[in-house]
Amino acid sequence: MLKSKTFVRKTRSGGVMKIVREHYLRDDIWCGSEVCAECKQESTVLQRDACIESNLCSYPHYVIPDTNVVLHQIDVLEDPVIRNVIILQTVLQEVRHRSAPVYKRLKDMIHEKEKFFYAFTNEHHRETFIEREPGESANDRNDRAIRVAAQWYSQHLKTSESDADGLKVVLLTNDQGNKQKAEESGLLVYKCEEYIKSLIGNPELVDRLALSNDDKHDITSSKVLFPEHLPLSRIQAGIKSGAFVQGTFRASRDNYLEATVFVQGDGEESTEILIQGLQNLNRAVYQDVVAVQLLPQNQWVAPSSVVLQDEGAAKDDNEEEKEEDEEKALRISAAEAARKPTGKVVGIIKRNWRPFCGMLNISQIKESTRHLFTPADRRIPRIRIETRQASTLAGQRIMVAIDGWPKHSRYPNGHFVRSLGNAGEKDTEQEVLLLEHDVPHQDFSQAVLSFLPKMPWTITPEDMARREDLRNLTVCSVDPPGCTDIDDALHCRELNNGNLEVGVHIADVSHFIRPGNAMDREAANRGTTVYLCGKRIDMVPELLSSNLCSLRSNVERLAFSCIWEMNHEAEILKTRFTKSVINSKASLTYAEAQMRIDDTTKNDDITKSLRGLNKLAKILKRQRIQKGALTLSSLEVRFHIDSETHDPIDLQTKELMETNSMVEEFMLLANISVAQKIYDEFPDCAMLRKHPAPPPSNYDILLKAAKSKGVEIHTDTAKALADSLDVARVDGFPYFNTLLRILATRCMMQAVYFCSGMDSDFHHYGLASPIYTHFTSPIRRYADIIVHRLLAVAIAADSTYPDLMDKQKQSALANNLNYRHKMSQYAQRASVAFHTQLFFKSRGILNEEGFVLFVRKNAIIVLIPKFGLEGTVFFDAKDKAGPKLVFDEEGPTLNVEQHTFRIFDKVKVTISLDASNIQHQKIRMSLIDPVIPGVSVPAPEVEPQAKKPKLDH
Amino acid sequence: MATVQVSEAEKVYILHGIRDDLRVDGRGCEDYRHMEIETDVVSNTDGSAKVTLGHTAVLVGVKADIGKPRPMVPNEGYFEFFVDCSANATPEFEGRGGEELGTELSNTLYKVFNNKHSVDLKSLCISAGEHCWVLYVDVLLLQCDGNLYDAISVAIKAALFNTKIPRVHISADEEGVKEIELSDDPYDCMRLNVENVPCIVTLCKVGHRHVVDATLQEKACSVASLIISVTHKGTVTCTRKVGGGSLDPESIFEMTEAGKRVGKALHAPLMKLLQQEESLGKTRQKVGFLG
Repeated sequence: MLKSKTFVRKTRSGGVMKIVREHYLRDDIWCGSEVCAECKQESTVLQRDACIESNLCSYPHYVIPDTNVVLHQIDVLEDPVIRNVIILQTVLQEVRHRSAPVYKRLKDMIHEKEKFFYAFTNEHHRETFIEREPGESANDRNDRAIRVAAQWYSQHLKTSESDADGLKVVLLTNDQGNKQKAEESGLLVYKCEEYIKSLIGNPELVDRLALSNDDKHDITSSKVLFPEHLPLSRIQAGIKSGAFVQGTFRASRDNYLEATVFVQGDGEESTEILIQGLQNLNRAVYQDVVAVQLLPQNQWVAPSSVVLQDEGAAKDDNEEEKEEDEEKALRISAAEAARKPTGKVVGIIKRNWRPFCGMLNISQIKESTRHLFTPADRRIPRIRIETRQASTLAGQRIMVAIDGWPKHSRYPNGHFVRSLGNAGEKDTEQEVLLLEHDVPHQDFSQAVLSFLPKMPWTITPEDMARREDLRNLTVCSVDPPGCTDIDDALHCRELNNGNLEVGVHIADVSHFIRPGNAMDREAANRGTTVYLCGKRIDMVPELLSSNLCSLRSNVERLAFSCIWEMNHEAEILKTRFTKSVINSKASLTYAEAQMRIDDTTKNDDITKSLRGLNKLAKILKRQRIQKGALTLSSLEVRFHIDSETHDPIDLQTKELMETNSMVEEFMLLANISVAQKIYDEFPDCAMLRKHPAPPPSNYDILLKAAKSKGVEIHTDTAKALADSLDVARVDGFPYFNTLLRILATRCMMQAVYFCSGMDSDFHHYGLASPIYTHFTSPIRRYADIIVHRLLAVAIAADSTYPDLMDKQKQSALANNLNYRHKMSQYAQRASVAFHTQLFFKSRGILNEEGFVLFVRKNAIIVLIPKFGLEGTVFFDAKDKAGPKLVFDEEGPTLNVEQHTFRIFDKVKVTISLDASNIQHQKIRMSLIDPVIPGVSVPAPEVEPQAKKPKLDH
Repeated sequence: MATVQVSEAEKVYILHGIRDDLRVDGRGCEDYRHMEIETDVVSNTDGSAKVTLGHTAVLVGVKADIGKPRPMVPNEGYFEFFVDCSANATPEFEGRGGEELGTELSNTLYKVFNNKHSVDLKSLCISAGEHCWVLYVDVLLLQCDGNLYDAISVAIKAALFNTKIPRVHISADEEGVKEIELSDDPYDCMRLNVENVPCIVTLCKVGHRHVVDATLQEKACSVASLIISVTHKGTVTCTRKVGGGSLDPESIFEMTEAGKRVGKALHAPLMKLLQQEESLGKTRQKVGFLG
């Protein structure tokens, strides 16, 4: 039966459009219940025995939630206890319209076999479809559709149930009107809270209930703390007229009373607006899209460099006076010159709330069920949740979702989602840092795995025919020890004409991952493999990453080869790319390769090949440095992990060998050659990587620091910087140069992927190359897969597909890759930090020498070269009068009592693990030398924790 | 214009018949052929009607869109007409063959309908000088068997009767920026008062007499015809002479009088029919194009 759906819509240009959709009704939509004998369904979803212990509904029943219940109580529905739920199409559509994340979660639940969730397409069912009636609002119509469908189900189950096991349907709604109407028509209907509270077997579910509107009134205090948010229509009008600006809210990590709003301007231009004070922040949460009104210029302030933490447990709604003091302290500290555009949040355009990891602060009142939750991410405010299991949750890492932030509440209200495990345990902490950095780390789904090649896998004759046979070449790979995902191998041999042939062979991942399938989409979403200490989160399933794609020795593998003919001065005479089959003769570690090169007695093919490569690499490196490539420094730490407990037992900074740089040189060369090739072929859609030159102001800190030691650094060009870094030495301070390079690294911009059609600046500043891309690690980076595909098309080895040539899509992909890349780096750092803590936990207190890296208003940041560890030494304390501090921004120097701290000063500190705040366990450093009375501590053999006041951060 | 070839003998036969008030198909001189009307036939328009008159068939669709009022009349909306002579109607329309006729027809339709006496154009105004409804009237000729004007005018009147314009509200914020808000209820709409919308009566001078609703054969025997638009009260709002021949003042007067009479008689049953159809609501069985 054909019906048509008609609705009117306003078009973008202001016109009005009438849209008519055809809508077909059918009578072959089955109910999905095991009980039903009438419906001719092949398989059923809903169980016959749909029992749940409830003191409201003692009979077996199916649950039908309405849209608002799904939207607000999705966390409850996700609980494994809740089963046999009918999701109506009406509900599904409304949810999809209103919240994409909830929709996705709902879809996942429907696909989950264990949940017995059945999606009933009532809108297409002949008996449950209803048309909107005159005078009925869209919501009323949907409510009626839900009631009609529920009615249909109860009738349907009644007639089909022969053995009278009394199966019923229960409608859940929080809407009073809807409930009443449903009761009138004889349906079983409950409020969601009522129903969940009735589940006797599972009292913990009550905690997951999101606070509904009428619950929130309970918390009403007389005082309105925040200004009202403007309605969306006024915000839009304001943005149009220029009274407000729209931007992304970024809370400050160090100061809970301060934030910036990042406003994306036209083109590349973007500005930041400073927001200061609770009132002005006006309930915005990190990452929200907000509307901001600029304050008049005379109220502009400068960002404070004070580190300020919200001490929420101690003070609650009634202790604002102290807060006001803190806010005042902020204001006064504003230096006249450094004022920045300042504004206030007037409205929220889009909330970007997600579930947050963190820990519970148990309320001091014993019986209280209301507790504050402290997220692990300091940029997220504390959240007030209601739970009866506070005592069990204490000491656990939990996830909490925000439900809302009323204007009379100091903190947002939320609810408990799930527990991740005990804090401090390695697995829990790993889970937390993966979640907090948005790293997709679930196991690969069946859909993804279904695209893996069948084992045992061999190279087919067809593959062989289309590829160049390079199995006879002496190819070998050089990697760090323990590496199982080998994506590059090299060879070098002398040709008959005296020239050298050098080949870089990269795993041909794009042969296995075909565009557009589930595996490809998953890899594109993950973007990169994430390496944590002792754990690797793969981008592609392990069979590929560690076996089929990995260029292990003495097996035949598919490769994408880049082969140059060079003369002995490392000048490239010819470049060609080909898909090939190789058979690596050896997988070496850097150290092994180095040994072979150095061992003059060895003279086999592999060693000769390595020596040839090494010789060329040295020339290439020299040339590159002459062109102005930067050699920067950052300390990388390696843990020796105990094989049984998996706890770190020793820690050392990574050493670099000649062979490291040998491999690196050829990878750079391959990347540059490929970048040039794909850009020549596809000027509009090549996936490239650029490293923008930093704005001159970034170098301020470096220049000041160098100047304080009497060294001049030129930053006009990369070359000048590289040269001046090379000559920067201070007598009696051998570590100075490394420190400078560490500082210089911090001045740099992030390198990013981009689509060549969307940008005009391709320059790679750090490598001093006009064009660059990533080609050499397709197993662990998705960008390389795209580059492989482009290159394969360019040499006519593979066919193209539409998305590859679409620069908008490429650009969107590049953005995701950049985001994932950044997040994986953060996750990596967080993992190192966590393992460092574990290490120091086992080591107790240590005294170490370090250097001042930065000087802040109330602290210095110290680097311990031995551990590659950075820590903060605070000079002020919350609950006692601190020493006299004079901060000079020009130096920058910090004068503590008599002593003046400068960048690069050598200090001695004690290092210990501060476990006083289990959520943010951290390495604490206290000063030993120079001795400043009242500030420094005696070199401890004793426990220092007892002496120092608690420094919480 | 669609024409047929008629032999001399046939012409004489038709002429003599009309002289005796007896036409080839048995009608009197002031009789219309059988007429069928159905409204709401095209769902993605705001109002539509299909009219068949003998073998002549036309389809009219009305689309309402928001536009800017004409500067001279800032508080009125307006019509736009477009007549599409599809080659379905007659092979002569193929290519650009129907263009001239289409323009001629639409020019006449402007004259007849686009004035405040036919429809209250002020009701189409949303905010004076800024927004108004523009009614795009699209006429599609499906088949030509003479007397296009009358069939089109009846179809337009029916389509306008059927037109449902979505209701809009103007909201202004404090800066005075006006925003058009659309009602989300599809039933919440504005109807037009079509009482005063005229119908066109075409009178063909055949010999010394004139006939209403001439077929193509009769048309071939005629040298000139008079187009008269008449309201339900019998008021003539527009007249136009088409055809190559001339009309003497005497017969113009006669024809006008006849036109008034016929037009007046046409309106009453038309309105009755339309209201009857409307009252059926959703229970009405739609005939559409295949019925």
